[in-house]
Amino acid sequence: MIDFLTLAIGTLAGCSLLLPLLQLVKGRDWNLSGYILAAVLASAMVMVAVFTLSPSDLPWFGSLLRGDALGGVFALVTLGVTLMVTLASLETQKGEGNPVYYSLLSFTALGMLLLSYSQDLLMLFVAWELMSLPTYVLAGFDKKLRSNEAAVKYAVIGAMSSAIILYAISLAYGLTGSTQISAVVQGFSRLLAAQSDATALASVAILLFVAGFGFKMSIVPFHMWIPDAYEGAPTTVSTLLAAATKKAGFIAGIRVLLAITTAYVVTQNPAFTMANVFAVLALVTMTVGNVSALTQKSMTRLLAYSSIAQAGYILIGFVAFSADPQSASASIGMTGSVFHVINHALMKGAAFLAAGLVIMQLRRADLGAFDGLGRRMPITAFTLTVALLALAGVPPLSGFWSKLLLFLSVSNAQFGWLALAAILNSAFSLGYYAWIIKRMYIDEADAPGRVKEPLWFVVVFAVAVGLIIGIGLFPQQAINLSSAAAAGILG
Amino acid sequence: MNSLSDFVILSAFLLGIGIYGLVTKRNALRLLFAVEIMINAANLNFIAFSQYAPFAAAGATAVNGVGQTFVLFSIALAAAEAAVILAIVVVAYRIHQDVDVSELKSMEG
Repeated sequence: MIDFLTLAIGTLAGCSLLLPLLQLVKGRDWNLSGYILAAVLASAMVMVAVFTLSPSDLPWFGSLLRGDALGGVFALVTLGVTLMVTLASLETQKGEGNPVYYSLLSFTALGMLLLSYSQDLLMLFVAWELMSLPTYVLAGFDKKLRSNEAAVKYAVIGAMSSAIILYAISLAYGLTGSTQISAVVQGFSRLLAAQSDATALASVAILLFVAGFGFKMSIVPFHMWIPDAYEGAPTTVSTLLAAATKKAGFIAGIRVLLAITTAYVVTQNPAFTMANVFAVLALVTMTVGNVSALTQKSMTRLLAYSSIAQAGYILIGFVAFSADPQSASASIGMTGSVFHVINHALMKGAAFLAAGLVIMQLRRADLGAFDGLGRRMPITAFTLTVALLALAGVPPLSGFWSKLLLFLSVSNAQFGWLALAAILNSAFSLGYYAWIIKRMYIDEADAPGRVKEPLWFVVVFAVAVGLIIGIGLFPQQAINLSSAAAAGILG
Repeated sequence: MNSLSDFVILSAFLLGIGIYGLVTKRNALRLLFAVEIMINAANLNFIAFSQYAPFAAAGATAVNGVGQTFVLFSIALAAAEAAVILAIVVVAYRIHQDVDVSELKSMEG
């Protein structure tokens, strides 16, 4: 009996490989490939969901994968975002739609699915590349000046981060003789117990992992490519980068970094613990993100910086976890992190797609395009309003609950300053979010008149807004799911 | 007779060259060279570790081929990566008639 997870992987792999063949068929409506991919992604999501409801923690594929709840949540989030992007692409790629575009989306989804369940550094690296390589091409898919510029920057930085991860894996393998993550963790803890000189190399490996994953997670100081890549790439692809591949970076970080911190301290020096490293990164990331977002003139660039700031909030859970993996605040923090990953995918996905629709219909990306949008594109403006308020963490929207959990987890004495900084950051970020909402509903448009809002965008917006408000009003189910997923980190 | 530390030092040196190249060079092709050097530094590490198996302190015993297997995967992936980046750089050359990444600044802020 073949299980649902294998079936989902097989379906996506088949879809990725077969879609380009549609190019051989002449004179067809190319949107066909988009519909096929949407159907495949939806069915893969159903399969993963069924699988996650009755997870079996058994190892897969010679212990390369393990079907736990943590992987299930991340697989659902990343597949869901890819589905949103595919449906939106049905409109943006209309007429010029290309089967290869959808095939690349499908490869990315497959990579993220495999990455979510990876239990071995070999699988993790292959899935990482399977996810990254198609997105380099997608970022440059327009073949125009800006799109290509985004692709060059993203591809060079992405390749560099892959090389850094590979080097870190090679050190981890050299020190422990295995690429199985659990064996690496055990090996590291034995090195520590034996007071071996090699602990210095192990610490280097961990810091290289932080840097390598940090590029995808958009952590300051590894964020410099993010604004250019998100602004230049086609907006549907930016949505994929911000809402999906970034989450894949976080699952890799959780699986590798947090697993290692349960058994290994980077240095004996109490000022340089992993918790302190994460705390400083979280603080710098959210502050730089929010401060830079304030002065942006372009909507996609503003959302890119806000996405960097949100990565800082998610990192707060890492701080609580690595401070003391067994404590109650660790489990609150990781529940908050996983919950915020789900919320951020929805909020940022909706916000980027709304911005993308405005750019597509009005052919301009500056903030002036949003003046009076409440009357010109009411559904888009409402979606953007809900998404931005949720990003700022206004109750009763979904973003409020995950931020609450995150801030609570570090509200103890040791990291109280981080909780305070995060709350100040949240309040500060409401400044630029509210400013956009004011532009949309109070300012007058320079060119009045309704603008068409295509069907698939409206469908995606309705689902996203429904989920943001729904999770906000009834957060218990989502919190339970996140906490079940977070429990899996300890193994 | 070479020892493991020779290989690890050489590999660290290669990583350093790669990072130096990424920081100082502005030609897209040179950046690609630098990344390739970094990937090969890691590959060298894998092979050396697999050969000399210095894992005793961490509890592993036998010499194993995992490192060599990993290198085969990593070479294939590096080739795919180079192909994708070269394709993107070719498009950049068609647009700019140049592959200097410091020319790429239509977006600022």
